[in-house]
Amino acid sequence: MLSDFLLIFIVLGPGLAALIGGLSKPLTGRDGLAMIVTTGTVGLAGILSLVQLFTYVAGLGYGGDHSEAAHHGAHIIHLMNWVDVGGFKADWTIRVDAMSMVMMAVITSVSGLVHLYSWGYMSEDPHRARFFTYLSLFTFTMLMLVVADNFLQLFFGWEGVGLASYLLIGFWYQKPAPNDAAIKAFVTNRVGDFGLALGIMAVFFLFGSIEFAPVLEAIRENAMVTPFAFAEAAPARDVAIEFLGYNVRALELIGVLLFIGAMGKSAQLFLHVWLPDAMEGPTPVSALIHAATMVTAGVYLVCLISPIYEYAPGAAAMVTVVGALTALFAATVGMAQNDIKRVIAYSTCSQLGYMFFAAGVGAYEAAMFHLFTHAFFKALLFLGAGSVIHGNHHEQDMRNLGGVWRYQKFTYGAMLIGTIAIIGLGIPHTSFGFAGFFSKDGIIESAFSASQQGVPFASLAFWAGIGAALLTSFYSWRLIYMTFHGPRAEADAGHAHDGDAVVHADDDHSHDGHNHDDDHDHAHGGEPHESPLVMLVPLALLSVGAIFAGLYFYDPMFHHGDAFWAGALYHAADNNVIHGIEDIKHDHAFEWVFWAPLVVTVIGFLIATFTYFFNRGFGKRIADGRGPLHLLFENKWYFDEIYEVTIVRLTRWLGDVFWKIGDIKLINGLGPDGVSNLTKWGARRISAMHSGYLYHYAFVIIGAAILFGGVLFIRNGGVG
Amino acid sequence: MGGIPILSLTTFLPAVGALVIMLISAATGSQSSDESETGGRNTLLAGTFVSLMTFAAAVAAYALEFDAGDAGYQMVEDVAWFGNIHYKMGVDGISMPLVLLTAFLTPLCLLASKSGIKTRITEYVVAFLILETLVIGVFCALDLFLFYIFFEAGLIPMFIIIGVWGGANRIYAAFKFFLYTLLGSLFMLVAMVYMYVVAGTSDFVALEQFEFAKDAQVWLWLAFFASFAVKMPIWPVHTWLPDAHVQAPTAGSVILAGILLKLGAYGLLRFSLPMFPDASILFQPLVFGLSVIAIVYASLVAFRQEDMKKMIAYSSVAHMGFVTLGIFSFNEIGVQGAVFQMLSHGFISSALFLIVGVVYDRVHTREIAEYGGLAAKMPVYAAFFMLFTMGNVGLPGTSGFVGEIMSMTGGFMAERWVAVGAALGVIFSAIYMLRLYRETMFGKATNPKLEGIADVNATEVVTLLPLAIATIVFGVAPWLIFNMTEGAVLRILLPFAGA
Repeated sequence: MLSDFLLIFIVLGPGLAALIGGLSKPLTGRDGLAMIVTTGTVGLAGILSLVQLFTYVAGLGYGGDHSEAAHHGAHIIHLMNWVDVGGFKADWTIRVDAMSMVMMAVITSVSGLVHLYSWGYMSEDPHRARFFTYLSLFTFTMLMLVVADNFLQLFFGWEGVGLASYLLIGFWYQKPAPNDAAIKAFVTNRVGDFGLALGIMAVFFLFGSIEFAPVLEAIRENAMVTPFAFAEAAPARDVAIEFLGYNVRALELIGVLLFIGAMGKSAQLFLHVWLPDAMEGPTPVSALIHAATMVTAGVYLVCLISPIYEYAPGAAAMVTVVGALTALFAATVGMAQNDIKRVIAYSTCSQLGYMFFAAGVGAYEAAMFHLFTHAFFKALLFLGAGSVIHGNHHEQDMRNLGGVWRYQKFTYGAMLIGTIAIIGLGIPHTSFGFAGFFSKDGIIESAFSASQQGVPFASLAFWAGIGAALLTSFYSWRLIYMTFHGPRAEADAGHAHDGDAVVHADDDHSHDGHNHDDDHDHAHGGEPHESPLVMLVPLALLSVGAIFAGLYFYDPMFHHGDAFWAGALYHAADNNVIHGIEDIKHDHAFEWVFWAPLVVTVIGFLIATFTYFFNRGFGKRIADGRGPLHLLFENKWYFDEIYEVTIVRLTRWLGDVFWKIGDIKLINGLGPDGVSNLTKWGARRISAMHSGYLYHYAFVIIGAAILFGGVLFIRNGGVG
Repeated sequence: MGGIPILSLTTFLPAVGALVIMLISAATGSQSSDESETGGRNTLLAGTFVSLMTFAAAVAAYALEFDAGDAGYQMVEDVAWFGNIHYKMGVDGISMPLVLLTAFLTPLCLLASKSGIKTRITEYVVAFLILETLVIGVFCALDLFLFYIFFEAGLIPMFIIIGVWGGANRIYAAFKFFLYTLLGSLFMLVAMVYMYVVAGTSDFVALEQFEFAKDAQVWLWLAFFASFAVKMPIWPVHTWLPDAHVQAPTAGSVILAGILLKLGAYGLLRFSLPMFPDASILFQPLVFGLSVIAIVYASLVAFRQEDMKKMIAYSSVAHMGFVTLGIFSFNEIGVQGAVFQMLSHGFISSALFLIVGVVYDRVHTREIAEYGGLAAKMPVYAAFFMLFTMGNVGLPGTSGFVGEIMSMTGGFMAERWVAVGAALGVIFSAIYMLRLYRETMFGKATNPKLEGIADVNATEVVTLLPLAIATIVFGVAPWLIFNMTEGAVLRILLPFAGA
């Protein structure tokens, strides 16, 4: 573990850098200072965090002894008091344990690379200082989230990253689409935060504390707790409380409410609608916030409070089901998108679903491990896509791309590595595989192991995982083929070709996506070009992560995770999901479980190769055929449309009704306006002298004085 | 400084200053209506100076005399007036921060009036200073009738500010305000007289100890509530507020939102809870219901507004809903949260009205649709606006969050459904505030009137910066306030210990 000074630097440094960056432009009039300070600070924090993580792993004697009893001591640095009222106590802290070390490494390393990459990607943007300021602000709030030792600081980070995300999605604020997307992201997250906030209140209600350590300890030990204003203490796991007329087990309630928060932040089914739209933000943002870090906060939360889900089977089942359905649902949509970034966005959504159902069935190690590896290869895919967009004059509709590998060989290579990592290619029972192989197969095996042990909905999760793996392989290769292979499409096809206009007319949303030429107009139709070195270096470094992160960390984080996590992830005595994988491995009847992901991955690859490589017109014919299933997928199962006609319209309608009927007609009409009409009518008759309003007031004062004086008089006279 | 009546000094300093300004103005013979520009500016600066001195006096009172460990009233001055009625002043942990808030906001208001107020500047400054005296008086008064005088008289300068320097429809707004207030005030006065007759004293300290009969409490509670509900304002007696705000000049709105709206909640804390605890418990469901309605209803209405000030006014109604909710949770977290929310709203809502005033001074419209794309032209303004927007939606790290989450938590402890309803309001607040920000700041500036619009000037920065600092400092270190309020809050919760 690093010294306190360095830890404080890692967490607060980016915040300070954001402050300097934000002030530098108005003061110096230039962007350079902000870029240097933010990139330097976050880059240094990234190096330090990685050193910390690797030293920690090395210190464990990796691959070795896991029989050692888990201890859950975290190193806590107290920064400042925050709130302490009637037991509602939360301080500004830096909590360092295995969980936060992993998150710090992911956040700062990816963020550092994204900062660097943005030097190239944003080089023509006139608002670079603002961009880098927001990036560092995001990094700071995300770090505050993962080093919190209490729910309130977590909530600070949680909404802070939401703000940074909002600002960055809407970075190009002069255009309507990014603005819409930014608001949608913020508001949808607020719906999640509604649950999170209530969950925190419920935690306080039950435990009289909102600090992680005492709360989680009470659940682990099943300590006696006295909920607020309750007369008697009861075991923490058994307490039932009244909620909206129902008597529910408090842990289940807390689990569900906090998970609603996680669903919002991590774009799970029903609250996922903001994530694809968030692609309106600059691509480095998509890589950092909407792939590698922020969206994983929900997974982090669920794992962090694993003791709650261990003793709230209903809430855990909800996590499993929502995760499994999201994994599958998002993958179906990903197959039918044409915007390169939206494909990857749905892919993110789907991978987050994997992490959740892993956590839901009790395999928190698998969830955290996949969170870790996914950060690298998903950031790689996004930055690779950004490189394509940058090199192709802001074209991000894959139908207008094609043949790009000839012009961007390095980017092509990086994207191939990312793709192989995400589809999880590897040979079972060996160490040959890219990052996703270790972590995703770990999740699928965990789900199977859980299903063998009768964990509710684990078999649903397992099959959803297998199905989504097939689709993942398909849409990932489809992306590669459409973008990099085949003939070169005209760069401005959509604007010049009549033939293509037909396709575009049916596809409004993709138009919003690819008019990113903002303030910097390229000459259209120029040759695609490879991106500058400053963008390729991050791709290279992330490629290393996408290849080796799984192999290197498989043992410490997953396979023999007890020593690594050191009690930060908790398992109830009857949770043998992870250890159960060993039993399955030794049982030949279950050999197929280990090969199934590879088989479906190869099938997905073959279908994609057949339809989009050898037979390029095939995909277009499917799209033109407009079959019901294709329409359903392409239109994202019509979630946006359904929300529009229900929730959005209802909100507007209620606002209008309350305002125009409630306030104006009823309250004003019966109240002041009615009375005033009556008074005016009367006042005209009584006196023509008085006008305006001052006399009204004088009337009150005089009336009051008379009344007051009269009472005093009576009282004095009466009492004597 | 034991011998100095520092509270009276703080209270009447602005009034004395107002008198001096009036005399000087009369002596120099400058007719208020056709004052020279420099004369007007000097008057405003003189007023600002007086109010800054008042702020200094209030800070001195807090720093030198206030003892956070004392839960009762401090710095008490007690002079027999007539009968049993005393001129009695004093502060506790609840009124001290409100005095500070008042003294903090008044100079900002006067400074902010520099570009907006062009006529009758002497009268304007005098009205503001007298208003300051009366409001500080309300927070310091420890006698029923002294309180009543300050409480009611405070409305006169507010009427004048709206009525003289207000918008086109100011008479309607003032009249509406009057009608609501009249209703409440009369009930309250009758109740006070009753209390005085029954308890034989008008001293707050004695009245807090006096136990009114339960059925009497019910009527007294209702009578006071009628007055305070209007001031808060609580749904459904809130409809004067949007009109008053729209018609008031910028600084008038700031004082209205920042300070006058706190009078209602202050009254609930000063009278309803400590003096009528049984009735308060009885009416808890009613107040909870009204609070949740206020939060949800006003937020939804705010979402549909086309006038910037109306939107923020409705937002105020919603935020005051959190205050009543917290107060009637009868637990420390809720009441502390409510007091904090009052102060936080004093910063954020005031700042938002100043923010509107900045562009109103330049474009002379408050129609949201007339704006757009300001972020590109006014980056510093945009940054301030964003900060206060986030404060208003209760983003953690701003003071708005602390007040909201603690009021809601307090509510959750009492009744789960209240917290659920209030939390819905937190979602809606994001919807209307982000809509406002988007439509005014983002997009492209299409209105020709916005061409060449200038970013905030030095005066505007000076008025906004203290509020920005307060929003963040108290969001990060709210214990600065909780330490002050804790003792008094626990004191008024004593009757509820078993509830």
